[in-house]
Amino acid sequence: MSTGKQAIEIRFFMFLAELCKERGWTSPMSLEIGQDITGDELLARLDIPAERVEVLLVNGKAVWPSAALIQPGDRVALLPPGTPGPYRVLLGFKKLN
Amino acid sequence: MFYRVNMGTLTVTKEAGDQYQGLGGRALSSKLVETEVDPTAHPLGEKNKLIFATSLLSGTGAPNGGRMSLGAKSPLTEGIKESNVGGAMGMKLGRLGVRGIIFEGLPQKDSCYVVKVSADGVVVEEMPQIKGLDIYAAVAKMQEKYGEKVAIACIGTAGENKMAAACVGFTDMEGAPTRQAGRGGLGAVMGSKGIKAVVVDDSGAEKLVFADEAAYRAGAKKLANALMAHPVTSQALPAYGTDVLVNILSEAGGLPTRSFSSGRFEGANDIGGETMAAVNKERGGKSGHGCSPGCMIRCSNIYKDKKGAVLTGGFEYESVWSLGANLGINDLDDVAMMNRLCDDYGVDTIDMGVALGIAMEAGLAKFGDGKAAIALLQEVGKASPLGRILGAGAAITGKVFGMRRVAAVKGQAIPAYDPRAVKGQGVTYATSPMGADHTAGYAVATNILSVGGKVDPLGAEGQVDLSRNLQIATAFVDSTGLCLFVAFAILDIAEGLEGIVEMCNARYGWNKSVDEYLEMGKQLLREERLFNKKAGIAEGSDDLPDFFRTEKLPPHNTVFDIPKEELNKVFNF
Repeated sequence: MSTGKQAIEIRFFMFLAELCKERGWTSPMSLEIGQDITGDELLARLDIPAERVEVLLVNGKAVWPSAALIQPGDRVALLPPGTPGPYRVLLGFKKLN
Repeated sequence: MFYRVNMGTLTVTKEAGDQYQGLGGRALSSKLVETEVDPTAHPLGEKNKLIFATSLLSGTGAPNGGRMSLGAKSPLTEGIKESNVGGAMGMKLGRLGVRGIIFEGLPQKDSCYVVKVSADGVVVEEMPQIKGLDIYAAVAKMQEKYGEKVAIACIGTAGENKMAAACVGFTDMEGAPTRQAGRGGLGAVMGSKGIKAVVVDDSGAEKLVFADEAAYRAGAKKLANALMAHPVTSQALPAYGTDVLVNILSEAGGLPTRSFSSGRFEGANDIGGETMAAVNKERGGKSGHGCSPGCMIRCSNIYKDKKGAVLTGGFEYESVWSLGANLGINDLDDVAMMNRLCDDYGVDTIDMGVALGIAMEAGLAKFGDGKAAIALLQEVGKASPLGRILGAGAAITGKVFGMRRVAAVKGQAIPAYDPRAVKGQGVTYATSPMGADHTAGYAVATNILSVGGKVDPLGAEGQVDLSRNLQIATAFVDSTGLCLFVAFAILDIAEGLEGIVEMCNARYGWNKSVDEYLEMGKQLLREERLFNKKAGIAEGSDDLPDFFRTEKLPPHNTVFDIPKEELNKVFNF
């Protein structure tokens, strides 16, 4: 974890904020990624199980971890399941059938 | 049964109200207003009526089924208004078999009346000793007189002074007036009729009769199971409350900050749900507090000050936003103090916060100065000329100070989701018959939404269809007495919706389908719009203030760009 130019800035919300505290991390936290990584790779690097994350906000836009491409300099927030309903739809977390 | 309370003659009559069969909650209160109130009536005049309506499931103890609806012609929007509220009263009125109370006429003398509802009927009593009291003090006096177990709806000085943003405060299950029928100035209508409070004592109520109690219980179990299984209703809301949305909306760029000048607040985490939960834990406050009987979600809270004394409760996301981020204030204790003052004076936190933001933009105080904001709010409590301007709401405040950027639709302040970054919400703000109202398009359930795919909150596509369906589903849920938050579970667990339909059917012996209930929602919206049209609110008013279309909102730098002609399609049904 460092603050180099190849770093991203990560924020943890709700239950993940508690996990962040348990692990002694800060929120926001800087993480060196060196090159583009996927959302799934980010979670693996952070050792956070996929089921604990519903969506990522990458530069303020909702994207599922499996579809996310994160680049150095990005601002990323991790959201667990728990965002009240209409906003899961209105902010694009939830795909409607 | 319905009670009609004439405040001119101080007489009460009882009616069966057969013409209102099949209606509850918002569908009932709006129908009563649409039927009985002249749309051209002055909101504070003799011809306006204040409605207290119970809901389809009131009194049953249904999971999260304790809500009720207030209705009138609004002094804020000059159109039809329903304001939905939790607390203890809906359950008690339901148990007493009361479907509605119609308050009409104007008092002949300047007194202070309490309307008492019990198993013995309804009486109007004078209680001059609570005139001019703030809500917490007035409620304490009434609890001394009527006992701790009654439910109370009470106005504060804002209502007595007929301020257009005045609300009605309702007691929760512990007897604290932490719940509000907040929007649209119904506290001023109550004040115009000389009614300081309505007190409900349900002791001696007869057991509720169900058409099919076993089927009702089976339906209730389905909904309860959905609420207990879903992570939003069983985990996130009890842990963090609705304030959990501060960080999320800020990160998504949709948290209106410093009077709608940015969508992201650098102090969001200081006032967000994660911080509030930590403060509650540290000070012995409470997260996971239920606001009404049968509540399983428990999203409410009790917030204590630094010394450990209760400061406020029902401290919701929209209030934290309006009195916090919207004013650039990141001190949660200052925001809590303002929430308490709003609840005590009896003013809507949303309209007050937006009005204060406009006042700050006009130079009356600096953004970020919590103490100055508190001082401005205290002017409302004093009913000084400045306080009366602020207490008249955001739109009037903007007009008085000659401001151009006034976030209001049909006279009602825009809440906590910036329409430039959450465009579906913007469509609802623009078109709801209630004026800007985030709860008008709230109920989501995939199987009753005819839209598919993923919505881009920053794009225009699909937002009109989404808002239409949300508004229809919401109108139905608002009529059941269920908290809108039940929809969060139904979004993923279809059995929850089945349970709701089964409960309503089994309560009354109906055999209605989901589509029939949604038709009730559609009919309700048509009638509300018709009232507004007769009241002189033209279709052209279904739009957002123009600065949302021209002024880009950081960080996404988007404007609200859904064409006017598209907005006109929301009510194509």
